[in-house]
Order: sequence, then structure tokens, then C-alpha cells
Amino acid sequence: MIAINDLAKTYGRFTAVDGISLHVEPGEIHGFLGPNGAGKTTTLRMIAGLLKPTSGRILVNNHDMETDPEAAKLSLGFIPDRPYIYDKLTAGEFLTFHAGLYGLSNGSVQGRVHEMLDLFELRPWEHELIESFSHGMKQRLVMSSAFFHRPQAVAVDEPMVGLDPRGARLIKDVFRHMSERGVAILMSTHTLEVAQEMCHRVSIIQKGRIIAQGTVDEVKQLAGGATDEHLTSVFLKLTGGSGLQEIDEI
Amino acid sequence: MTSAFPYLLLPHVWASRNRLRRREHGDTLRGLLFGAVGILVCGALFWGAYWLTSQLSAYEEFGEYLLRLGLSWLFLSFLAFLAFSGIVTALSTFFLSDDLRLLMTSPIAARRLFAARFTRTLGSASWMVVIFMAPVLGGVGVGSCAPPAFYLTAAATSVPFAIIPVAIGAACTLLVVNVFPARRARDLLMLMGLVFAVGIVLVLRFIQPERLLRVESLPDITDFFATLQSPITPLLPSFWAGEALFAGLHGSVDWLHQAALWTTAGAFVVSLSWAHERWHFAGYSRSQEAPKTRFARFAALDLLAATLPLSSVRRQLLVKDVKIFLRDVSQWVQLLPLVALVLLYLYNFRVLDLERLPFVAGFVKNVYAFVNLGMAGFVMATVAVRFVFPAVSAEGASFWIIRTSPISMQDFLWSKFWTAVVPVLVFTEVLTVAANELLGTDPFLKIVAAGGIFFMTFALVGLATGLGARYPRFGADATQAAGSYGGVMFMILAVLLIIVTIALLGWPSSLYMMSMTGQHRWRLTPERQLLIAACFSAVIAICLTTWWIAMRSGVRALEAMRE
Repeated sequence: MIAINDLAKTYGRFTAVDGISLHVEPGEIHGFLGPNGAGKTTTLRMIAGLLKPTSGRILVNNHDMETDPEAAKLSLGFIPDRPYIYDKLTAGEFLTFHAGLYGLSNGSVQGRVHEMLDLFELRPWEHELIESFSHGMKQRLVMSSAFFHRPQAVAVDEPMVGLDPRGARLIKDVFRHMSERGVAILMSTHTLEVAQEMCHRVSIIQKGRIIAQGTVDEVKQLAGGATDEHLTSVFLKLTGGSGLQEIDEI
Repeated sequence: MTSAFPYLLLPHVWASRNRLRRREHGDTLRGLLFGAVGILVCGALFWGAYWLTSQLSAYEEFGEYLLRLGLSWLFLSFLAFLAFSGIVTALSTFFLSDDLRLLMTSPIAARRLFAARFTRTLGSASWMVVIFMAPVLGGVGVGSCAPPAFYLTAAATSVPFAIIPVAIGAACTLLVVNVFPARRARDLLMLMGLVFAVGIVLVLRFIQPERLLRVESLPDITDFFATLQSPITPLLPSFWAGEALFAGLHGSVDWLHQAALWTTAGAFVVSLSWAHERWHFAGYSRSQEAPKTRFARFAALDLLAATLPLSSVRRQLLVKDVKIFLRDVSQWVQLLPLVALVLLYLYNFRVLDLERLPFVAGFVKNVYAFVNLGMAGFVMATVAVRFVFPAVSAEGASFWIIRTSPISMQDFLWSKFWTAVVPVLVFTEVLTVAANELLGTDPFLKIVAAGGIFFMTFALVGLATGLGARYPRFGADATQAAGSYGGVMFMILAVLLIIVTIALLGWPSSLYMMSMTGQHRWRLTPERQLLIAACFSAVIAICLTTWWIAMRSGVRALEAMRE
């Protein structure tokens, strides 16, 4: 479970996140949508413990990220938008290292490493240095580490960036599978088709504030559209359609 | 199309300007504090050079001769440093720098790119030499009552003197990058490190410093000075620079050596520019190739780590750090020249024949025990700034992995500390104990030196770890991180700590040694014993406080990153 309450982040006079609240229940895939610079990544980075909120509260599986960060992080998996990982480790070593960080004992680690590498189709590269990996392979490796310690909640920033169709399909399947097993997933994405296809509920954030929240159908109704309307046009209506306007200007 | 080459330097200028503009809380205080320390160090160099020059002036022609020789030796040392620095920096600026991806796809003429990158290489490779050289030459000038023109000569000499070795270093890099069939920047660095180490060995063997102490074995005094003169060949730019400055001290201009410096520098730059135009792209292209990586698994390391009494978090952090270090040849290869220098250092102690100075041999030996302690301290500071200080920065863009893990920043930083302190402690203790053993120092001083270096290791490694966490440069490589504001700050503080430690150990030790002579006036009264104990305790207190404060400050800085 991920629960954020009245979360805000300011940089000097600039407010990146302005008092947002949302709740991701166990087993729920929650889409976090918004235009560039809306505050999605800042919010996710606060949830992951990378940024300190100016105000507000973050609970991960009922552990407060501010007062009990280690317990909160132990039950969270985080997947950043850019998969920066140690180039000079092999995939297997990276996962073993990750296991150590999460206090997993040595006995079961090797089996779990193989399990995750198999799941993310990286087993043939178990003993290769990460520096020789493509972006998509690194992304899959990061995902395998995020799910490695069996977190109860996962925060993921733009999971489909840089993945080929096969990789994207794999990730969708993994997310669905994890969701069925009770993992709460908060996923920021620009790919509205993905949100429409996968998310139980979505939140749309603009200028640091949540402007719509609910199931995809509820959000469509909020925008005054029909339930068969595509989420893209709903998104553009709610966020001002600035993207299309920019295309016209070009 | 771009305009002149300085345009290509603008991003670095702007980045520096922006860093200066982005003032943070405490910046002014830090700037004032460390500016004052920097001025103090430069002042000490200035005063040292001034004092030495003034002393030499008292010996008229002989003093002048030694001063002339000293200038050439000074430039010879800088020449070696600049050449090696040029090799390492050129590899980064010409072939590995990230912004090359942008620049190489832009419509920039090869000559402009070369001029911009060479200027950057020159600046990065020589700034440290300039900072150390300026007060030294200033001191020499004032000590010799040199005319104002001397300082102009010094500036006019330093520029081509820096260009020549850096150009040679850049040419070596260009050559080796093109000779190697595939991209192996790390192999390249390994080769260059070895070349440098072998070069140092050869130069020092060529000098044969131990001969200087065997005056009676030389046929006459001329041979003695010939020994001193031997490495200063007139074909080296260091000799030209020394001669040009020596002439400047007397108010004249040595046109011959100035011309030699400037024309050689010009010729090197033109040749290098041509070579760059011809071979740079081929080398750069090769440096982009990503061959199937060969690497060591280090299974023994895993087994060894498993036997250590560590928590799984610390064990994995240790294994990760050690594997990354060992697999990155560009990191550990830099230890090779250091090892070569240390071996030579120890060799020199072995061949020092102090018994030929019958009345002062014991005294000199014991003084050398502290010189040795200082040297070990400086070697340790160098190792720490290069390998320990960048430890946090080395996490780079991957630091999110640690920060999102359920481990505290305290655990993380202490793991970095313990990973570093063990090898550094073994290295410096071996260096100190072996040197004192070879020298035949008094047993009491052996114990004092071994104890002193023990506490100094904790202080310096803690300081490097803490400041590395306080001033990380996640986007920079280890060399750049070491040369950053935090790295320079570490070096200044480290030098001060070493000086204070040696002063606090040296004075009571000398008192003790004098008391061993049995003379009544040197006997160890209870007050003196108390003073000795106080000095030794002060060393321990200073070292432990430095260690603790630095680590605490580093942990806090890491925790504050969330802000």
C-alpha cells in the first residue's frame, strides 16, 4: 500500500508538488499521468526516499518514509526512469548486491537471482558486465531488482521508455502478475494507452496538483467525455491540450 | 558553423560561473576559511623559497650555482608531473569526455576542436603546478632581490614550459589510442602508468642520489657537481626554463633559452594539431567500440568476503566496491607509479650511507624518522585524495540504488571508510616501519612513528571519506573529483594535519632522545614527562576528533541530500 497525504515540495519560490494526496491499495495498479514538468517524477522520488518533502506524509505499507525510512524502503521497489546501474558488475552480481542491501540471506539468493533473470529474460547475460547491456536490458535488470525482494509496493517512473514491444509486453505481464499477488503499483507514464490498458485507477497531475482522480471511466466523466472516448483526448482536455497546440505551432 | 575555438570553452566557463553564482548556506564562510588556509600554504611555500634563496645568496658564486641548479631541478620535477598529467587528462578530454558526443556530431573544424580541447587539457593538467610554482618563484625573486622584469620572465617562461610536456602527453595518448586495435582505455592507462613508473625508475637510477653522500669516492669536487648536474641535460625544457629564470634574476633576458622554449612549444602545438587532424577521429571512433568485455570474476573475493564477520549489507557493499575498483583498470593502474615511487623511496633509505657522517649519523637518522613520517603522511594524503575521496562520487548516477535501499547513510559511509582504511593502513604502516628499519632508527622513534601513522591513517581516511561525502561530484570521474573544490580542501587540511602531527610528535621525541644522551640538562623531569605525554595525547585527540567530525559531517551531508 502506498498512501501519500497532502504532499508538497517547493524549491525556493517554485512549487513542484502542491499538496497532493493519493492512495494505492494492495493489488492496485495506479496510473500517475501528467504533462512534462507536472511533478510526477518529483512525487515518485519523494515516495522512494530520494527527496525530502517540504510537507506532507508518505506511508509505504504503513511505514512512514520520514520517521521509519528503512522499513518503508524495505517494502518498496523503485524503478527510476533512467536505469543507471553499476557498469562494472555483472547482472548476477548486481542482483546479489541488491539482495545484500535488502538484508536477504545468502542461501536463497542465488535461486532468486536465477528466478528473476529468467523472468526478465536476462539469464543468458547473467555473467556479462552491465556496461555491455542495451538500455532496454538495463531497464529490465532494474525492474528485476525492484521486484527481487518481494516488495508490497512498487513506484515506477516511465516503465516503457526504451523497451521494445516484446520487452513492453513482458513488463505489462509482470506488473499484472504482481498486482494479482497483492503488490500496490504506482506507475507514472506518458503512454496513455498503457494507462488505459493496465491501470485500475489513475491520477492526473498538473502544475503540482492532482486535477482528476478515479478509475479511467470516472476520469473520463470528470472531463465531460463519454466512457468510450480515448484517454488521450481526456488527458488533453484536462491538461489544456498544450501538446497539440505546440505541434500546430511547429 | 561555429566561430573561434574559445566558443567551445564557453560551456565550461558558464558552468563554473553558474557554480559560483549558486551560492549555498555557508559558502562565504567556507570560502573565507579555506581561502585563508590556501593563502597560508602558498605563504609557507613563498617563505621557504625566500629563506632558502637568501641563505644561498650568502655564498656568492657557489650559492648562485646551487640556485641555478635548484631552478633546473624544480622545473625537472614539474616537467615529469606535467607530462604524466597531460597523458591522463588528454585521454579524458580528447577521447572519453561525454560532451564529445555532442561536439563530434557538430559542424566544428578539427583544428578548432583541437585548440579548444588542448586549451582545456593544458588548464586541467597544469593548474596545480602553477599554484605551487607561483609562490616558489615569487620567493626566489624576492630572496634574490630580482628586478620586476623577473616576474614577467617567470610568466613568459611558465607558459611554454607547461605547453611542451602537456603536448607530449597528449601526443602519447593520441598515438596509443590509435595503435591499439580496439577500445581499451583502461589498457591504455595501464600502459601509460607503467611507462610513467618505469620512466621514474630510470630517471632516479640515472641520478643515483646515493652517490651524493660518497664525496670521498669522487676524484674531485668537479665530479661531485657533475653528479648533481647529470640529469639536467641542456636538451630538456626544464633546463631552458631554469636558465631563462636564472638570467631573469639578474635583470637580463636569456633570449636563446626563451626562444628554445617558445619555438619548441609552438612546434609541438602545430605538430600535435596536424596529428590530431589526421588521427583523432580514427582514435575517437575506436574508443567508441564496445567489444565483448573480458573481465575477472573474482570468485575468491566472494569466498573471502563470506568469511568476514560483516553484516550482509556491509559485505555486499565491500564486494561491490572492490570488484568495481579491480575491474576498472583506469583506477588501480594509478597505483603502479605510486608503488614504483615507494619502492624507490625505500631503496634510497637502504643505500643511504649515513655512517660516512660519523658525528651526526645518529642525529640525521632520527631526523629522517620524522621526514619519513611526513613522507608517509603525504603519500597517504595523495592516495586518499585519489582513491578514498572520490569513493562516494564513484557511486555516480547509480547512487539512487543505495538511497532507495533500506540502509542508512551512516552504514553506507562507514562501509566506505572501512573498505578504504584497511589497505591504506597496511600500506602506510609497511612503508613507515620498513623505511625506519632500513634506516636503523632508534627503537623508540620506530614505535612513535608506527603509532603516529596509525592514528594519522584514521584521521586522513576519515577526512577523505567525510569530505568526499560532503562535496561529491557524481558526474565527474575520480580524477576530476579529486581535483574538485572538496579534493583541494582535503589536501590542504591533510597537509595541515600532517604538519601538526609531526610537530607534536617531533618535539617530545627529540626531548626524549636528548635525555638518552645522559646529560643533566636534558634529563626527563616529571614536568617534561608530562609535556611529552600531553603532546602524544594531543596527537591522538586531534586525529580521532578529525576522524569523527569528518565522518559525522559526511553522514549528515548525505542525509541532507534529500532536501
